[in-house]
Amino acid sequence: MKKKVLAVLMAALILLAVSGCGSKTETPAAETPKAEKLKIALVLPATVDDLAWGQSMVEGLKAVQKTMGEDKVEVSISEKLGNAVEAGSAIRQYATQGYDIILAHGSQYQSVLTEITKDFPETTFAYGTGFETQANVFAYDPQAQEGGYLLGMLAAMTSKSGIVGIVGPVESGDAVKYNYGVEQGVLKGNADVKTRTAYTGSFNDIVGAGNMAKTQMAAGADILTGSSQQAVGALRAVAETEGKYWLSTDMDQSAIAPEHVLAAQVYNWEKIVTKIIELRKKGTLGGQVLTLGFADGTIDLVYNEKLADKIPAEAKTAVEQAKQDIISGKLKVELPKK
Amino acid sequence: MDGVMNYDIIIIILATGIRLATPYLLAALGEMFVQRSGVYNLGVEGIMMMGAFAGFYATLQLGSPLLGIAASLVVGALMGLLMALISVTFKAEQGISGIGLYMFGWGLSGLLFRLYVGGITSIEGLKAIKIPLLSNIPFLGPVLFNHNVLVYTAFLLVPLTGFILYKTSWGLNVRAVGNKPEAADTLGVSVVLVRYQCLIVGGMLAALAGAFLTIGQANMYADNITAGRGFIAIALVYFGRWTPWGIVLGSLLFSLADSFQSMVQVLGINFPYELAVILPYIVTIVALSVSYGRVWAPAALGKPFQRGTRG
Repeated sequence: MKKKVLAVLMAALILLAVSGCGSKTETPAAETPKAEKLKIALVLPATVDDLAWGQSMVEGLKAVQKTMGEDKVEVSISEKLGNAVEAGSAIRQYATQGYDIILAHGSQYQSVLTEITKDFPETTFAYGTGFETQANVFAYDPQAQEGGYLLGMLAAMTSKSGIVGIVGPVESGDAVKYNYGVEQGVLKGNADVKTRTAYTGSFNDIVGAGNMAKTQMAAGADILTGSSQQAVGALRAVAETEGKYWLSTDMDQSAIAPEHVLAAQVYNWEKIVTKIIELRKKGTLGGQVLTLGFADGTIDLVYNEKLADKIPAEAKTAVEQAKQDIISGKLKVELPKK
Repeated sequence: MDGVMNYDIIIIILATGIRLATPYLLAALGEMFVQRSGVYNLGVEGIMMMGAFAGFYATLQLGSPLLGIAASLVVGALMGLLMALISVTFKAEQGISGIGLYMFGWGLSGLLFRLYVGGITSIEGLKAIKIPLLSNIPFLGPVLFNHNVLVYTAFLLVPLTGFILYKTSWGLNVRAVGNKPEAADTLGVSVVLVRYQCLIVGGMLAALAGAFLTIGQANMYADNITAGRGFIAIALVYFGRWTPWGIVLGSLLFSLADSFQSMVQVLGINFPYELAVILPYIVTIVALSVSYGRVWAPAALGKPFQRGTRG
């Protein structure tokens, strides 16, 4: 009997580890007879309101809808599809239903896409962060290290304790790219300031991220940052502590902690999606890597006006100068070595 | 490399470890009663999610984390009742119904959040309470006596549940029902009633563990906030051999290892991150395999009770 119990328990744990996320597919609205309506589907690993990666894309799509007209663009979203197999079936379903553009918003969807895209040569697929394209697949690649660099400079020149803390999710891909940028920026901003990087080992454990932030702060960090959907947990912990500040990435998170978010790296997905739509109109269904960076305004740095007095003037000047240097190509922020 | 483990750092590691142990301890002590009565409830994670949402939502609406705690207890009792109905009255296979309850709790809590809250919202959660005098003791004060009320509750429950289980007649009934339900039945103890009671108590404690995450830790709610803690709690019941002392030992071991590895990472001590994040699991598994002698479990664990048959 005991063995059986353990077996069930193990199975449950494995299920948990493998799936990570359940799925709640919002059934897409019934197909409209209007042929000219552009149909876009979005598949998200986390939620539409994660205040990070997922939500930034959702807001980009809303902006596209607003610009082009609600009656011209239809958007359907499936969230919580961290499991690539479940995501794959959602993507296939959207393709079968005649969606024009399907955005698989996660680097983990790359291999699933390669199995599906050949069956739907008329459909445009896009995913990211990624580099591998096909005839009808775009890949998009935010230069997270650029904003990380600027935020790192800002942190180093603003920190009073001399310690900048990073609450990372899993040491891979985008998170490492961003963190590496922050580390370089801190070094540039003030070589005496230390960056302390720690990972929780999860993307969606907001309680774990909060606890990691508490440990960072207890050990002396006064400016913290971190990426992924669990970052709000760390931000909330920062927001509860006097004199501690947060730098957000992917989108501006100051709405939930106006007194503690100094600045943010913001992705402008509207421009990327608009570009995909235009390329598709011209007959290019895929095959390009779309880079997000400061140069074309697809990434931007926004400051929290409420906390403008917390950032020393020379820090802001230096950061703005570095931003111009990134735009002009004078400054290249290094990518982590593989 | 300023990675010297000084006095202050050790205090942080220990105090954090105690805080981290709280949800495991609450949920595992509840599950201990459930399993002692002969039922295993694998739905702890789902109940925790429901408790996490209920606690969060009541706090958000009513402005008081204490009412949040009350709400989570009610929801936990209902979830326990549901599990009792399925596994005791309808005698469904317990493993499957537990997994079902887990998925039900996950789906429902996510749905309710989407319907009634919408986006990420933060709340004023429980504040740390410094215990007068005791919190001034050097070293022990900041480690043990500067936590929120649910942390104290969880640790006070250890001797309390021990007393209930071993020194009261109800505790005797629970143990009898989990070991020899036929004998207990013959002596006039209602197996069904005791199992219902245990599942309800277990549900309440699991929900309280969930509420601790939302109103005692994160001060917000997000999908999948429990992130597998309910399953770890079930594993800790086995680790603790169905005793409160074993469970508190396992919870502390796991959580202190977790707290320690976080600090090792933060201080930049040269230690591979991949190893650091799995350290709590390794320590627990090693301790389990080294310490396990005679394997004992409630004899009737997992067997639905049917009067007139032998289990």
